[in-house]
Amino acid sequence: MSSEPYSFSLTTFSPSGKLVQIEYALAAVAAGAPAVAIKAKDGAVLATEKKHKSILVEEHSILKVENVTNHIGMVYSGMGPDYRLLVRQARKIAQQYQRNYLEPIPTTQLVQRIAAVMQEYTQSGGVRPFGVSLLICGWDNDRPYVFQCDPSGAYFSWKATAMGKNYINGKTFLEKRYNEDLEVDDAVHTAILTLKESFEGQMSSDNIEIGVCNKDGFRRLTPAEVTDYLANIA
Amino acid sequence: LKISLKMSMFASKVNISSLEKKPIEQRFNPYRDNGGSVIALAGKGYCVLIADTRLGGGYDILSRNVSKCKQLNSKCIIAAGGMLADRRALFNVIDARHIIFEHQHFRPMTTQSIAQLVSVTLYSRRFFPYYTFNIVAGIDEEGNGQLFGYDAVGSMEQLPYGVQGTGGVLATPFLDNQVACKTHEDDKRDLSLAEAIELLQDTMTSIAERDIHTGDSAEVWIITEDGIKMEILPLRQD
Repeated sequence: MSSEPYSFSLTTFSPSGKLVQIEYALAAVAAGAPAVAIKAKDGAVLATEKKHKSILVEEHSILKVENVTNHIGMVYSGMGPDYRLLVRQARKIAQQYQRNYLEPIPTTQLVQRIAAVMQEYTQSGGVRPFGVSLLICGWDNDRPYVFQCDPSGAYFSWKATAMGKNYINGKTFLEKRYNEDLEVDDAVHTAILTLKESFEGQMSSDNIEIGVCNKDGFRRLTPAEVTDYLANIA
Repeated sequence: LKISLKMSMFASKVNISSLEKKPIEQRFNPYRDNGGSVIALAGKGYCVLIADTRLGGGYDILSRNVSKCKQLNSKCIIAAGGMLADRRALFNVIDARHIIFEHQHFRPMTTQSIAQLVSVTLYSRRFFPYYTFNIVAGIDEEGNGQLFGYDAVGSMEQLPYGVQGTGGVLATPFLDNQVACKTHEDDKRDLSLAEAIELLQDTMTSIAERDIHTGDSAEVWIITEDGIKMEILPLRQD
C-alpha cells in the first residue's frame, strides 16, 4: 500500500484539528445516490436509488445492494468502485472468520472489521480515504442490526437512517415516520417513501433496489416484488 | 560354491565407490515424545476427559505431576499427547485467541469454534508441525457432550469417544467394545455420567498397567452444564 516515495499519509491534520480529506470524502458521499436503512421488529431493510445515466445502460447488470454472507447485506452512497472493493473485502473477512470459528460472522464483528479497513486508508501511505459510506444490515442473536460505516472508519448503529443526496430531508422524514413496532413489510414501505422524497421522476423496479434481512437471511428483492411494493404506494 | 559364484557375478557389476560411506546429515531433532495418555468420552449432558500427569523422557520419568490439559472456558478444555513444549505453545496460542475473542464478542467461544480454531492453527504449521495429538472436549450449545480428535496437522473429527498418546492404542479396542458396542450392537445404550466416569477411570488404570509411559496420577475432568470439575485419580508409579 505504501511505496517508497509515498511512505507518508495523504490524510493530514489541518490547524483546526480536522482531517480535511475525510471531510471531502463525506462530501463525495453526500453527493451520491440516496440510500436508506430501517430496522424493523423482525428484520431490517436496505434501499437505494439506482438511476442510470443513459437509456442504453443494461438495466439489471449493476447491483448496488449486495450480500456479504447469507445473513448480512450492504448498500452504499458515494463512489461505486470504492464500494466494490469493500464488498469484496467484507466477503473475504466473513469467510476467514467462518474458517477460523466454524460459525457465521456476527454482524457487529463484520462492521468493526470493515470499519478498521476504512480507517487504515486514512492513515496509510499513498492512499486516499474511501469515497463511500456503507449501510450494513444483518441478522444474528435472534435480532436485526443496522450499521453505518463512514470513510473515517467510524461506525454507528441506527434504528433508521438516510445517506447521500438530500439525506437531511430523508432523516427528518424517518424521524417522523419511524416507530419501534414496524414490521419488515412496513419498513419496506417506509423506505420507499423516504426515497421518494428526493426522487425525480417515476419510481419503478428498474431504478430502485431493495434488500431485506430477517431470520431467514438477507436477500435482494426481485423486480417483481419491488413492483408489488411500489403498487401499494400509489 | 554355487552361491559364492552368483555373488561374485553380482559383485562384478557393482560400482566400487558405492561401497564408500556417503555423508549422513546430522541435525538437531526438534521433536521428542514426552509420553502419556489422554482418553475422553462425550455423552448426553456431559463430557469426561482423563489425562495422566506423567512427564516422560525416553525411559526416564522427568516428573510425576505435569498436566496435559488446559481449561479454556467454563464449557471446554483442550488436552494433548505428544511433546510438552509444543503442547504448551499451542495451548497458550489458543488461550490467547480465546481471551481476545471474549474481548471482541462479549461472550466466550463455543466448543465448536474452539475446535475449528485448533484445527486451523495446527494446519498453519503444516510444514513444521506442533508435535501434539489433541483432543478438545466440551459441552455444545444444547448442553450435550462434544468431543473432537486431531492429528498433528489439524485433521479434525467429531467423535463419541477419543484417545491420544502412547497408551491410546491400548484403549481404543476396549472403548470400541464398551462404548460403541462394536462387537455386540444389540446391547448399545447411552451411558450415565457416573458410568462414564467409572469406565474411563478403569480404562486409564488399565493403560497404566501395560504402557510404561503412562502412570503416576491422572486428572479426571468432568464437564457438564453446571461447569467443570477436576479430580485426581492415583495411578501406579512404576
